[in-house]
Amino acid sequence: MTSLRKIDWKAGLVEVLLILLALTIIAPLLIMILGSFKTSSEVLDFSLALPRQWMFSNYAQVIEQGGLLRAFWNGVLISGVSSVLNIITTSAAAFVMIRRDTKVSNFIYLFFFMGLIAPMSIITTIRVVQWLGLYGTITSAVLIYTAMNSAFSVFLYAGFMKSIPRALDEVAFLEGANILDIYLRVIFPLIVPVNATVAIMVFMSVWNDITIPIYFLTDSSNWTMPLSVYNFYGKFSRDWNLVFADLTLTSLPVLILFLLAQKYIVSGMTAGAIKG
Amino acid sequence: MSITKRLYSYYLLLPALLIYVVFYVLPTLIGLFYSFTDWRLDSETIEFNGLYNFERIFTDETLLLAIKNTIIFAVVTVIGKNVLAILLAVALNMNLKTRNALRAIFYAPSIVSVLVISLLFTPMLRSEGLLNGILDAVGLDFLMMSWLTDPSIIMLTISGLSIWQYTGFQMAIYLAGLQSISKDYYEAARIDGAGSWSSFVHITLPLLWPAININVMLTLIGGLKVFSEVFVLTGGGPGNASQVIGTIILRAFGEGNWGLGTAVNTLLFIAVTLISIPLLLYMRRKEVQE
Repeated sequence: MTSLRKIDWKAGLVEVLLILLALTIIAPLLIMILGSFKTSSEVLDFSLALPRQWMFSNYAQVIEQGGLLRAFWNGVLISGVSSVLNIITTSAAAFVMIRRDTKVSNFIYLFFFMGLIAPMSIITTIRVVQWLGLYGTITSAVLIYTAMNSAFSVFLYAGFMKSIPRALDEVAFLEGANILDIYLRVIFPLIVPVNATVAIMVFMSVWNDITIPIYFLTDSSNWTMPLSVYNFYGKFSRDWNLVFADLTLTSLPVLILFLLAQKYIVSGMTAGAIKG
Repeated sequence: MSITKRLYSYYLLLPALLIYVVFYVLPTLIGLFYSFTDWRLDSETIEFNGLYNFERIFTDETLLLAIKNTIIFAVVTVIGKNVLAILLAVALNMNLKTRNALRAIFYAPSIVSVLVISLLFTPMLRSEGLLNGILDAVGLDFLMMSWLTDPSIIMLTISGLSIWQYTGFQMAIYLAGLQSISKDYYEAARIDGAGSWSSFVHITLPLLWPAININVMLTLIGGLKVFSEVFVLTGGGPGNASQVIGTIILRAFGEGNWGLGTAVNTLLFIAVTLISIPLLLYMRRKEVQE
């Protein structure tokens, strides 16, 4: 009995320490959210005090003056199309690689795996994009993000597909199906959980990124939310209430996505990172 | 077998391979080539200049500082994120009442953009900002610093913020690893009289090795590629005190020194590959032994 009480006491201490530590995470985020509803002079104390008057108008002002609707749509378009293109292309590729299991396909797998390690070469990527006549376009950003995330997705899909029995395909082949039928009708339904993981991971990383827009989206009408925020900050850096409203708006989509899809992220990470 | 090979035609692989090769591999290969040229925005001709770009990198103080800063950031964040994340994961694997809420809170900052976190902290890290105000109020005034303007600590400030943001992400991977360890091991150890420290060292750490492996690789590679944090927080300043390889490439690009910028990139490529592949192989081997 004494040992049990001792464990409880220890757990209680750990819990108190963790809650204190968690406050250092919550406090800055709350300062941002509360600050986004304050007036431009009240926000300057950067405190956890509630706004004296809730300035919902800050949000209207930010959306209007920051041109956020355009940036929001660009972000959804680029992140969404990159995710879908990534899912379709890399799942099909991983399927062939896993099933063939030859020297060539193992080499291609390693070739993709290198992409997890090697940093991208930005200046020459610009050159390639210029050759293709795509520089400055949203299409170029989509294709670059798809390529950048290929390695990670191939890695996740390959890990998962190893556990799908080959017998499933063999039966379908005997029935006269070709590989495209099998991929679409047999394999694709089985990999839906991994699709969700890949979609969320790619969407979040693309939505949050600023590097590609800095280099590749030369026209500000193509910018995504974070880079618009940066630009907005340049103009309104004295009005922290507006900057905070902008930061909160930028974070909202990924926070909602995370809350909706939490279980896929955790299960995908377990399957990919630990077992893969 | 040859029939199956014919059935699993390579054409399904081609779209992914094409995008990956054109937008990732090809630029890297072209980069190796252009690293040895005087490629500039404002000149028509491109000529080979041998190792000139690399000589310049290793004799230019700012470029050397950028390399040093990148290494500092990588080392500090690898250690900080992983040590803290393991401790957090072990604590949050205990039977605590607020466990789920705490896990979500620690994970939360890693979901939002680096830009959001960096801008959010800009006013708080100023000399007269919130952090120093708190330190003063709790009697730790000797810790008050010019977090963003003192060149001697600027890299530590940037690393610290990255640790604050991403430790929760690393923690989630460690939690997944911890949950795959069977409780039987701990019970057997307790019967043998092992304390909690001894269980941690002899059971938890060895069985957590695959997760440590992946996390160290992720944080190391991510650390060497650092860019956004520095770009938003300091822009490489004060002076050039916080330049890293990523910001040097942006600067070379902006100045039109494309050959030099590409050479810096090639150097980063070589460094990441030379460090991470042996580390990966070493850690994999250790994993098999345990």
